[in-house]
Amino acid sequence: MKTPITTICSALVIMLTSSFSFAAASPEDVRSASVIVELIDAAQPGALVDVPAGTYEGKLTVQKGVRLDGRGMVVIDGGGEGTVVEITSMDVTFRGFTVRGSGARVTGEPAAIRVMAGNVVIEDNHIEDALFGIDLRSAPDCVIRRNTVRGKDLEAGRRGDGIRLWWSHNCIVEDNDIQGSRDMVFWYSEQLIIARNRVRDSRYGLHFMYSHNTVLLENELVGNSVGVYLMYSNSIRLIGNTMINNRGASGYGIGLKDCDDITLKNNALLANRVGLYIDNSPSSVDSVGRIADNMVAFNEVGMLATPITHDNVFTANAFVENEQQAATHGRGDLSLNTFYEEGTGNFWSDYAGYDLDEDGVGDLAYEPQSLFASMLAKEPNLRLFVYSPAQQAVELTSRAFPELRPAPTLVDPVPLSRAPVIKTTSNSTMTSGWPMAILGLGLVAISGVSCWRLSRIGSLPARIPGNGKRGAA
Amino acid sequence: MSAIAPTAKLAGTHRHRSFFGGVYSFARREFRDALSSRWFVLYTVSFTILAVTVSFMSLSGVGSHGFAGFGRTTAGLLNLIMLVVPLMALVAGTGSIAGERERGTLLYLLAQPVSRTQVLLGKYLGLGVALACSLCLGFGISAMVLAWRAGSVGISTFVMLTALTCALSISMLSIGILISVLSRRTGVATGIGLFVWLILVFVSDLGLMAGTVLFKLRVQEVFALGVLNPLQAFKMSVIVNMNASLDVLGPVGMYATQTYGDALIWMLALVLTAWTILPLAVATFAFLRRNSV
Amino acid sequence: MIIAEHVTKSFGRTTAVDDISFELQPGCALALWGSNGAGKTTLIRCLLGVIRFQGRASIGGVDVKRRGRQARSLAGYVPQELAFHDDARLDAAILFFASLRRMDKHAAKTALDTVGLTGHERKRVRDLSGGMKQRLALAIALLSDPAIIVLDEPTSNLDAAGRGEVSETLARLKQCGKTLLFASHRPDEVIALADRILVMDQGKAIQDTTPSEMWPNESGVQMIRLHLTMASESDAAKVLRDAGHAVHLNGHGLCVAVSRDRKAAPIHALSRADIEVRDMELIEGISSPEASP
Repeated sequence: MKTPITTICSALVIMLTSSFSFAAASPEDVRSASVIVELIDAAQPGALVDVPAGTYEGKLTVQKGVRLDGRGMVVIDGGGEGTVVEITSMDVTFRGFTVRGSGARVTGEPAAIRVMAGNVVIEDNHIEDALFGIDLRSAPDCVIRRNTVRGKDLEAGRRGDGIRLWWSHNCIVEDNDIQGSRDMVFWYSEQLIIARNRVRDSRYGLHFMYSHNTVLLENELVGNSVGVYLMYSNSIRLIGNTMINNRGASGYGIGLKDCDDITLKNNALLANRVGLYIDNSPSSVDSVGRIADNMVAFNEVGMLATPITHDNVFTANAFVENEQQAATHGRGDLSLNTFYEEGTGNFWSDYAGYDLDEDGVGDLAYEPQSLFASMLAKEPNLRLFVYSPAQQAVELTSRAFPELRPAPTLVDPVPLSRAPVIKTTSNSTMTSGWPMAILGLGLVAISGVSCWRLSRIGSLPARIPGNGKRGAA
Repeated sequence: MSAIAPTAKLAGTHRHRSFFGGVYSFARREFRDALSSRWFVLYTVSFTILAVTVSFMSLSGVGSHGFAGFGRTTAGLLNLIMLVVPLMALVAGTGSIAGERERGTLLYLLAQPVSRTQVLLGKYLGLGVALACSLCLGFGISAMVLAWRAGSVGISTFVMLTALTCALSISMLSIGILISVLSRRTGVATGIGLFVWLILVFVSDLGLMAGTVLFKLRVQEVFALGVLNPLQAFKMSVIVNMNASLDVLGPVGMYATQTYGDALIWMLALVLTAWTILPLAVATFAFLRRNSV
Repeated sequence: MIIAEHVTKSFGRTTAVDDISFELQPGCALALWGSNGAGKTTLIRCLLGVIRFQGRASIGGVDVKRRGRQARSLAGYVPQELAFHDDARLDAAILFFASLRRMDKHAAKTALDTVGLTGHERKRVRDLSGGMKQRLALAIALLSDPAIIVLDEPTSNLDAAGRGEVSETLARLKQCGKTLLFASHRPDEVIALADRILVMDQGKAIQDTTPSEMWPNESGVQMIRLHLTMASESDAAKVLRDAGHAVHLNGHGLCVAVSRDRKAAPIHALSRADIEVRDMELIEGISSPEASP
C-alpha cells in the first residue's frame, strides 16, 4: 500500500535521482541539436552514434537508420516549442537520452519523441516536461522499453498521452514508467505485447481503442482514474496485472467496453472504486469473456456490469471484502453471466454458508440478496449512507421481512470455501507493529493517568497542624 | 462538639473560586462520579470489548494489510462508533442536570458560591473527559490488537479516528446536556435522549434515503441534508482524513470532494463544532433562564 | 446583612413569595415563621439567588442577582435535609465543598471537628443518620467561617436527639455573633434563637414581631392540636391567624400556640366561624409539638 509518507518518499527518491542525472548530464556549454544531426549525417546507416554528453537545444529529426546513444548523459531540450525528437527513418535505435521541453498546446500534439517509421527501438530514455511522451504513428515492429515519462504539470484535462501507438502493429512496450500524464493509449494497433509497465497518477493507465489481439502482462497501474480501459478491442488477454487505487472520476481497475473474447487471469484488482467494470462485453453473440483466478479485493464494488452484459464466465476468482461484491449498473442482475464452470465457482468473502465435507466447495449456493445494494443500483446517491447504522438497519429489515428481499444479483452454486492468498507485486510485507503498539499504550496511558489524576481525593489530615483548632478552642 | 469561633467580622471575606477554578472543581467531581457509576463502567467495558472484537475479526481471514483501501477495520469501527458512542454520550448528558435536580442535590449545589454556568460547564467538562478516557481505553487496546495483527498500517488514520470519535462524543454530550436542562425528570430526559439517538442514528438517515428515492433529490441536496446530521459529518470527516476524498460515498461524495475540495474538511469540522457549541450554548442559556431549580 | 426589597416570586399563577421586604442587622437572628406552603423555603432560595425572582435582595451588601456567586460566598446554607450524592464519602463531600470555597483540607477538618463528625470521614453519606447529615450540612456551611448562616427548617426531619444537637450548635453560632436567618415552625426553636420573627402566610409577610410579643409569657405557652375536617383546615388557619394565633398545618391537624390560661380561645373563634372542631389535644411541652402520638 502507499501511505502518504511512502508516496512522498518515492517522490523524493524520484526527484533526487532525476536531479542527479541532471547533474551528471549538464555540462558547461549548451550546444544546438543540429550538432547531433551533423553526427548522424556523418554516420553510416546502422552505425552506432555516441552523442557526447551535454545539453542540446532545439529540434532533432532522425532521418537515417542509426543507433543513437546518449548513455544517460545527454539532454535534448526542445525549449517548449513543438515536438523535440522526430524519428522518420526505419531501423533507428534511440537510447539513453533525456528529452524535455515539448510544446504545451494540444494543437499539433507536440511530443518528446515522435516515431513515424517502423522497426524503431526507443529505450532507456527519460522524458519530462513533454505534452506527449512517446508517440508512434504508423510505426510497426517497434520496441519501447525502460523509458520514464513525466508529464507536464498541467491539469488533467490538458495533458497529453505518456505513450501513444497509432496504427502501429507488432510492437513491444515494456518496463516503461509513466507518471502524471493522460493515458498510455493504443489506437488501431494489433499484436502488441504490453508488459511490466507502471503507470500512476494518470487518467487511463492502459487504454485500448480498436486494438485487437494483444497481451497485457504484469503491468502495474496505481492511482489512475482507470487502470486498464479496453474499448472496442477484441481478443485481449490480461494476465498478472495489478490495479490499485484507481479511483478517479470513473475509478475502474479494469473497464471493458464492447470487447469480445477477453481473458482476465491472475490479475489483482485492489482498492479501486470499482474492481472490474463490464459494459456490454462481449458484445457479439457467440463470444465469451473469461475471468479466472483474479483477486478482486477491497474495492467499493468488486464487479460492476451493465444489465445487458452477458456471457462472461467467472471461475476461481476471489472477491474479498469489497464493500459490494458484485452489482449491476442500474436495474437488473448478472444472471446472463455464469459464476462457475465445471464445478468450480469463486471465493466470496461474505459467503455465509458452510463446507461440511471440507472439499473446498461451499455446500450452499452463494446468492447475495442485499436490499441496500438493490436500492443503490436504482439510486446511486444512496451510497452516501454506506458505513452507517442506517445501512445495517436496511439490511436487517430485509432479513426480517422476506418480501422486501430483492432477487439475488447472481448465483454461484459452487462457491469456493477457502480464501486464496493474495499474490501481487506490490503486496508489501507487514510493517512493524511498534508504532501502533506504542500508540495503543499511549492511549491507554492517557486514560489511565487522567483517571488517576482527576479522581484522586486528598484525604483529610489526621490532625490540624499548628495550634489545633481555629479560634477559641 | 467543640466550640465555634466567635466571629467579629460582619461580612466575611469572599471565599469563592475563580470562574474556571469552580468549573474545575465540578469537573473533577463529575469525573469521579462517572468513574464510580455502574453504567459508565459497563459502557467502557462493552465499548472496549466491541472495539477490540471488531478490530480482531476484521483482520482475521484474509489479511487486509498492505492496501490503502477503506479498510474493513475502519468500516467496522465506524459502524460501531456511530451506534454506541452517541448513545453513551447522550445518556451521560441527559442524566447530568436532570439527575441532580431529581435527587434535590442541584438546589444545594446552587446555594454554594457557584454560578449556574460553572455548574453546567463543570459537569460538561467532567463528563467529556470521562467519555474521552473511556474511548481512549477502547481505542488503545484495539490499537494493540491491530499492532499485533496488522502492523502499523493506517496509524495516522487511527489517531484521527480516535480524535474525531472524541469530538463526536463531546458533541453528543452537548445535546444530552441540553435535553437534561430542559427536562424535569431523569426518566423523561433519558427517554428524550434515546429518542434523539434514534433520530440521529437511524430515522434521519432512513428518512433522507426515502426522500432521495421518492423525490429524486439532486446530489447537492442530498449532500446538504446529509451533512447536517452530526453523525454523517463525523463519518465524512473520518473518510476525508483517510482518503483525502469522499469518493467512497458515491456520486454525492464525489460531488462534495469536487465542489468543496480542501474546504470540505473545514466544513465538516464546522458542522461538528456547531453541533457541540450550539446545544451547549442553548443549554447554558436555558439553565440560566430557568424559573425554578 | 441581608436586605430584601419587594421580593416576589411566582410559579405560573401562584405567587409563592409576595412582595416581602425586610432588613436583617448583623448579629441578629431572624426566624421565618409560617405553616407549610407559606413560602419560607422559596423566600430563602430567592435570598440566596438560587432562583430568579422580582425585587432586590442583597447579602452583606452584595446584590444576589448580579453577583450571586460572591453573595453566596458570604453565607453558609443548611437545607432541610442534606441532599448530596449518597455514594460519596464524607471526606470527599466536604473536600469538594471546601474546594468551591477555596478552603484547604485543614479548614475541612476543622469544620468537621466543629460539628463533631471526626472519625466518620470514610463513611458514605447514605450511611449517616439524619442528625449526622445535618451536622455535615452545618460543617459545610461553616467551612469558610461565614458571618451569615441561612437555614431552611434545619431540624424538621430530625428526631428529638438530632434536634438537640443541631439546636445546641445553632445557639452557639448565635453566641459567636453570627447572623442567622432560619425558617422554622417550631416555637421552641424560635423562642430560643430568634430576635425577630417574620410571620408568613401564603407568601405574604403578615407580621414582623419578636418571640416575646408572639408568646408574651413563654412559660405560659401551650401547644394544642385541633382536628378538623380536611376541607376546613386552611379556612380554620386563616380564622385563627386573624384572631392573632400562631398556627401551623402539618397534615396531622392544626397546631396552635395559645396562652395556658386561654386554651379554649381557638375553639371559640372557630365555632364563631362555623368551623367544626372534631377533637383537640394538648401537646405537653412546647419543645415537641410533633412528638405526641
